[in-house]
Amino acid sequence: MVRDTTPGSKMFDILLIIVLVLITLTCILPLWYTLALSLSSNSAAAAGRVWLWPIDFNLKAYQQILQDSQFFNSFWISAKRVFLGAGLNLIVVAMMAYPLSRSAQQFRARNMLMWTLIFTMLFNGGLIPLYLTVKELGMLNSIWSMVLVGGAQTIVFNIILTVNFYRNLPKELDEAALVDGAGPWYTLFKIYIPLAVPVLATVTLFSIVYHWNEFLYGLIFMTREEYYPLQTYIQQLVVSVDPATMTEDQYKRMSELSNRTLDAAKIFIAMLPVLVVYPFLQRFFIHGITLGSVKE
Amino acid sequence: MKTKGFAKHYYLMLLPGYLWLIIFSIIPMFGIIIAFQQFNPGKGIFGSEFVGLEHFRYMFTLNDTRDILFNTLFIAVMKIIANLIVPLIFALMLNELRLLIMKRWIQTIVYLPHFLSWVILGGIVLDLFSYNGPINQLGGLFGLEPELFFANASLFPYLIVGSDVWKEFGFNTIIYLAALTGISPALYEAAGIDGASRFRSLWHITLPGIRTTAVLLTVLSLGNVLNAGFDQIFNLYNPLVYSTGDIIDTWVYRTGLLNLQYELATAVGLLKSLVGFLLISISYYLAYKFINYRIF
Amino acid sequence: MNKKNQGILLLFMVMLLIISACGNANNSPNNTGANNNVANETKNPDNPPDPFGKYEEPVTISIGMEVDPTDQSLPAGDTPSDNQYTRNVKENLNINVEHAFTASGANMPQKISLAIASDDLPDAMVVGPIELRQMVEADQLADLTEVYKNYASPTIKGIIEGTDGAALKAVTFDGKIMAIPGVQLKADGIHTMWIRQDWLDKLGLEPPKTIEDLEKVARAFVEQDPDGNGTADTIGISGPQSGDGKMYANFLESKNNLYGFDAIFSAFGAYPGFWIEGDDGKPVYGSILPETKEALIKLSEMYADGLIDPEMAVRKDSKEPVVNGKSGMFFAPWWMGYGPISDAVKNDPKANWQAYALPLNAEGKFSPHVGTPSSEFVVVRKGYEHPEAPMKMLNNLFKGESEATFDPSKGGPGFYPLRLVYAPSDETEYTVKAIREVLAGTKTPEDYADDVEYKLLASDLLAIKKVKKEPFDQMGIETWDPSADMGIWTRAYSIMIGGTPLVDTEMVDVPSLIYEQTPLMESRWVNMKKMEDEMFLKIVMGAASADSFDQFVADWKKQGGDQITQEVIDAVNQ
Repeated sequence: MVRDTTPGSKMFDILLIIVLVLITLTCILPLWYTLALSLSSNSAAAAGRVWLWPIDFNLKAYQQILQDSQFFNSFWISAKRVFLGAGLNLIVVAMMAYPLSRSAQQFRARNMLMWTLIFTMLFNGGLIPLYLTVKELGMLNSIWSMVLVGGAQTIVFNIILTVNFYRNLPKELDEAALVDGAGPWYTLFKIYIPLAVPVLATVTLFSIVYHWNEFLYGLIFMTREEYYPLQTYIQQLVVSVDPATMTEDQYKRMSELSNRTLDAAKIFIAMLPVLVVYPFLQRFFIHGITLGSVKE
Repeated sequence: MKTKGFAKHYYLMLLPGYLWLIIFSIIPMFGIIIAFQQFNPGKGIFGSEFVGLEHFRYMFTLNDTRDILFNTLFIAVMKIIANLIVPLIFALMLNELRLLIMKRWIQTIVYLPHFLSWVILGGIVLDLFSYNGPINQLGGLFGLEPELFFANASLFPYLIVGSDVWKEFGFNTIIYLAALTGISPALYEAAGIDGASRFRSLWHITLPGIRTTAVLLTVLSLGNVLNAGFDQIFNLYNPLVYSTGDIIDTWVYRTGLLNLQYELATAVGLLKSLVGFLLISISYYLAYKFINYRIF
Repeated sequence: MNKKNQGILLLFMVMLLIISACGNANNSPNNTGANNNVANETKNPDNPPDPFGKYEEPVTISIGMEVDPTDQSLPAGDTPSDNQYTRNVKENLNINVEHAFTASGANMPQKISLAIASDDLPDAMVVGPIELRQMVEADQLADLTEVYKNYASPTIKGIIEGTDGAALKAVTFDGKIMAIPGVQLKADGIHTMWIRQDWLDKLGLEPPKTIEDLEKVARAFVEQDPDGNGTADTIGISGPQSGDGKMYANFLESKNNLYGFDAIFSAFGAYPGFWIEGDDGKPVYGSILPETKEALIKLSEMYADGLIDPEMAVRKDSKEPVVNGKSGMFFAPWWMGYGPISDAVKNDPKANWQAYALPLNAEGKFSPHVGTPSSEFVVVRKGYEHPEAPMKMLNNLFKGESEATFDPSKGGPGFYPLRLVYAPSDETEYTVKAIREVLAGTKTPEDYADDVEYKLLASDLLAIKKVKKEPFDQMGIETWDPSADMGIWTRAYSIMIGGTPLVDTEMVDVPSLIYEQTPLMESRWVNMKKMEDEMFLKIVMGAASADSFDQFVADWKKQGGDQITQEVIDAVNQ
């Protein structure tokens, strides 16, 4: 590759590095700040004295979390939810995308079915009918309500992505399979899915992140804290309580227990799994998205 | 043709996914009926009295409806545009960076926020922008008066767009970068031999090379605009900024679930679905028309 | 092929129908079964009705319950569904309590709303007035007229009827009692001024009697560095916090508004949020009157001058500057010892917070708005087999509390299932007077032994000298010893500081003409109130001009205000 090395270009490079580093810092500093907060003393945190380094360094907040069985319980529920949600998403998406990636000549109902999917993605009856449905299915307090309701709302998007990927695989593959007398199931499992690993990894990652981060359904479908996934658990801790409807004793307890460092520590621990997992998946998903949808 | 009996296999492949969607998406759509009823929870959806379009009529007399419709569209469009341009510029800058190790590090760091939930980031962002928070302290060093960022209704939509861009730009950058590496180095070499400057080759080689990626990203962001705005705004807003920050989803949540106005909330939710349908249709049409690309 | 497609589509449709039909089929038998039971129950009530009677067979009740996730007060092994309170209920009444749902305070309205909307109600729960009305209209509630008549204990009946019918009026629909009302202190609805006496003394100022004084004092608090740390970081008057903070209580939430400006409004004769008598004697909504505009203009001037917390309405927690010793004044009810002040004193033992019934209005009177005695209600699902069980549980609670059966250190009283507060409405004032007598030595705690309805009085009187030092007739923070027993001090300080202005001031009470919603309010009020809150906040914070008040009044009337006013007039005349 030919690059010019004039002084002006050098200046440009230096400027570039400065700008890039600054922008990058904005992404990492807030998280760093949270970590510093979680390691500071509560009084320093409340007084707003913590900046980028912990004040009165201590691990009290983390020790407290270690004793909080509900935190780990919720953590475990979230992990299960991610596993079930992402697994189901993977199977169904991989399978559904195949027929839908056929052309309308190959599969006549294809367009109608596709628009039905778009329709389900856009229209909904609101939370109350959803709640009724889940209740009638006996799924209140079941992890399946979060897995299935959340999944149903994100699956269409993942299907679209995968359909695009399938469509862009070379047409010769189909023809060769046909010549060999392979049926649709064989073609899907032996030819398409192995080639589609990048996009399937991508939609799996989407699904993992979604199920890990989603909090509202936990709040709606779970009737007790012991069933809450982690984000719901954290959300209800961080939300303020209405002082107008509080009784005196509640208020008193609140004032004794509100704890910014503890919140920060919980937030930080809740971030950890995502921080750990994503470097491993990133290689796949970069390919998945770009190869999946860009026809050059 | 050998493909003759394939359709029934195709349906079989679709069956699990469609069952899932029917139960958790289509059946709950019956709730839309509430928008046309004087809903009486004791009698249920099938027993309540119909009142025709009364709730829609009331809806259009409300100042709120106009506001939230405008806010939703305004924030949505701004997000789409900003999430298209900012990552592009960043990717181009990153692409010019010659220190490969640094490049990889920056890549890895900047898309970290994408994977964190708004429950978590909302807490962090509010803290950063609080009256005594780091941002105001930083401004103080430059002699700026402290500003109540998240109380300022005229700033709020921009803060929403800004924090969304901050969360998402790294992720989109990765996708652009992948597209950029896909451009043949031979093109740049040829341009270099012809004496083209860095900026000229940028204009004539790089930008055309990633056009389809830009379209893809726009399409991806459409899904987010319709749904993911809720998590962000729900965790960041307050009554002071309702006038500019309340979007359809947050309004429907408050009205329907906290204020017990089920009918009105459902009616407005229906409006949202229509807006979504409009947006998707337009983008479908535009993508097809300009780059001959079928989204689904 | 085409036919096959249609066949499969048909299959989908059929499944869809089956699934939805199943849902309905499940619904109906439940309901009818329950209705039969209630019929049986009314035929065979236990004979004669005993408010404290123990069931012979175990009775199960499922309830919706608020549980604070940060509460760690339960001893190891106990849970919100198994603790001293539930065991007490089981032992005394043979009632097993089950939780249909639990939620934190902030999420409770959402859970209750879902339960109502989906008609999936627990047997009993505690709700507010809006939910109560909604459930009555949806015909979801059991008629408790007989239950109240036969099963309410004499003490509770006495307290409920001691409100001049206000408590019962709140739960009576078409002549039927549809819920059991709680009764709270009158003192909870009166918002007085809490001020740093030590700052006043340091700057040589008097407690502000008029609005002009108030501005002067607030300005001094902001500009003259009362905390002596050399930087101008103090707040004159604290304001409401973001999210749930309110500038003033209103007829639906008429009590316990912390960090609002209620007393400032009333000094202008303005009662926003309340239905008061207009000049023509007819009911009128206080927020649209010129007095309110006048008060708002003054508040906006004060805000612009920096006398009010510049972070009001954005601050996540208005308690913080009070606790950190940065705020000089705020408006709140009597129980602030339970609130920010105990933390403030922990941080700075010299922080001398005192309460005054100030500022005064043009006639030199303190004329506060007063709340409804009942804002919380126990409701019972229609068709529950034992509609009297919740009433028995409330009787048992009150008895237990007055006999000090429960140990709050083993789980706060909030863990009592279906807890409602029952307090004679003058409890705070009565306690202040009694403590004064005991401190002065003119009476002994034993003299009050008969006042059982004041359930904490006995312990208050016995404990006061633990935390109150000589001289007994002075109340400055230096005459208290919080470290002796923080728990006792919290209550004693609240009573003696917060309660004193209520006893010593001759107040002109301004009640709201109604404390419930009228029919049209159900669909309109939320949006109108939102418009009001936004507009007033904007005016105070300078984002809207004072003239926009007039536009607000016009909009308010147009969006249903006139009709609602008529409804209120009709309701009051009934």
